[in-house]
Amino acid sequence: MRDVYAIGIGITSFTRLEFPLSEIAAYPVMMALKDAGIKEIDHLYVANMGGGRVNHQTGLASAVVDTLSLTPAGADVIENGPASGGSAIKQGFLAVASGVHDVVAVTGAERMREVNNLEVTEFVATLTHPLAEYIYGVTLPSLAGMFTRAYMDKYGVTSRHLAMVAVKNQNNALLNEFAHIQQAITVEGILDSPEALTNNPYIADPLRFFDCCPVSDGGASVILATREVAEKTGRPLVRLSGIGQATDTHCVHERDEPTDLLAVRRAAAQSFEMAGVGPSDVGVAELHDAFTILEIVESEEVGFFKKGEGHLALERGETQIGGKIPINPSGGLKGRGHPVGATGVAQAYEIVHQLRGEAGKRQVADPKIGFTCNFGGFGNNVVCLTFAREN
Amino acid sequence: MKREIYAYRCRKCGHLHYPYRMVCAKCGENEHNEFDPEPLPKAGTLVTFTELYALPGDFEVPTLGLGIVELENGIRITGQLQIDEPASGMKVIGEVEVVRSEEYEKYYGMVFREA
Repeated sequence: MRDVYAIGIGITSFTRLEFPLSEIAAYPVMMALKDAGIKEIDHLYVANMGGGRVNHQTGLASAVVDTLSLTPAGADVIENGPASGGSAIKQGFLAVASGVHDVVAVTGAERMREVNNLEVTEFVATLTHPLAEYIYGVTLPSLAGMFTRAYMDKYGVTSRHLAMVAVKNQNNALLNEFAHIQQAITVEGILDSPEALTNNPYIADPLRFFDCCPVSDGGASVILATREVAEKTGRPLVRLSGIGQATDTHCVHERDEPTDLLAVRRAAAQSFEMAGVGPSDVGVAELHDAFTILEIVESEEVGFFKKGEGHLALERGETQIGGKIPINPSGGLKGRGHPVGATGVAQAYEIVHQLRGEAGKRQVADPKIGFTCNFGGFGNNVVCLTFAREN
Repeated sequence: MKREIYAYRCRKCGHLHYPYRMVCAKCGENEHNEFDPEPLPKAGTLVTFTELYALPGDFEVPTLGLGIVELENGIRITGQLQIDEPASGMKVIGEVEVVRSEEYEKYYGMVFREA
């Protein structure tokens, strides 16, 4: 297997975008190609979940490769729910590592705000089991709400811990010009103040408005290539050193332990094993905080903290930008936003940015190893990536 | 006709599944349709729950109670709750009722009340 390097990155603002989906997917590729200083690719992977359903556009990869005038390069769409981005990067990795291609572009994009809230909730709820979950009105926030309650009962996590994740990630997002949410909040304001029930209403009890990521449009891209190509760019060398992916039962109720996220545990372990590093080597991580509880639990399942102790590390400030293991310096899904197909690629964008030392105001002090966890469905399909800076 | 929600018992090893799957999760020897359906019991214990305030389009109610229940045979099921003050560990009893209506289609599922 050949080593694979992330040689270029690009991103759009995550917000409401009044551009066609194909342009949201293509724009970050243009930026990433400029960043890498190259003009041609062998293949394009486009991560997208809802183009066909939400935007009435199928065959997105063909549209994107053409509008970028990159034909006749091959192009595929990868749909793996909210883990589409991680899956597309994995496919790009396999293509370069195997020797089939030397340079590939991976882009993730979603345009969810073209439809109203009801339709977007409905669209994301199609991830659930059609007969055993969906018919009951089960949505992703409701699965997260039930999971959160079980976690609170077992490990003593409180609404205050959840609010601390929201505050941390929204504060980080203030340092990220591409982040969707540009609003400073405080734990007092969203939990204790007389207005808290109005400004932070319940979505899926015990989860409240500020525990849930926003619905965003946006795109992000990363160019993957061989070492030979990477060295010619003259940019810091960042290697995609580990990939891992694992699945779990489609129905959340079928899992033996309702508070485990086994697919996260397994995908992370695979990714670390391939990279030849452990969780304690990681200097910066982007975790999939679609709901605040997920950042806490993923930080345990990937091995940064012991099971049931993630909220204690959060209390100690260990996951802040200046902490022991900074989590979601970009703002995460909570602050940066969550255009579902783009998220996995946006996580990789942030990690490459950080490992190069180019993250400006939100730069973590000299990280050598970076890590991403991209969480599909309610933890039934998870992709974890490990990155290493080499010079 | 009495409506039931069915679990599926593997004909090779006897493992019970809900919902249906094509290959047995325990022995892996079972193929498509080699399962015997059996009605799920109705009594169980509430494992976890939520009150959903952001509802999908088909639901014309202000909020919706949802929960995961461990039935008395050990099988877990997701269902709707009609309980004013649910609590984890509460004993509940289910009934098969309409849980979702789309234009010309009604979907039946388990609705739980306090036992």
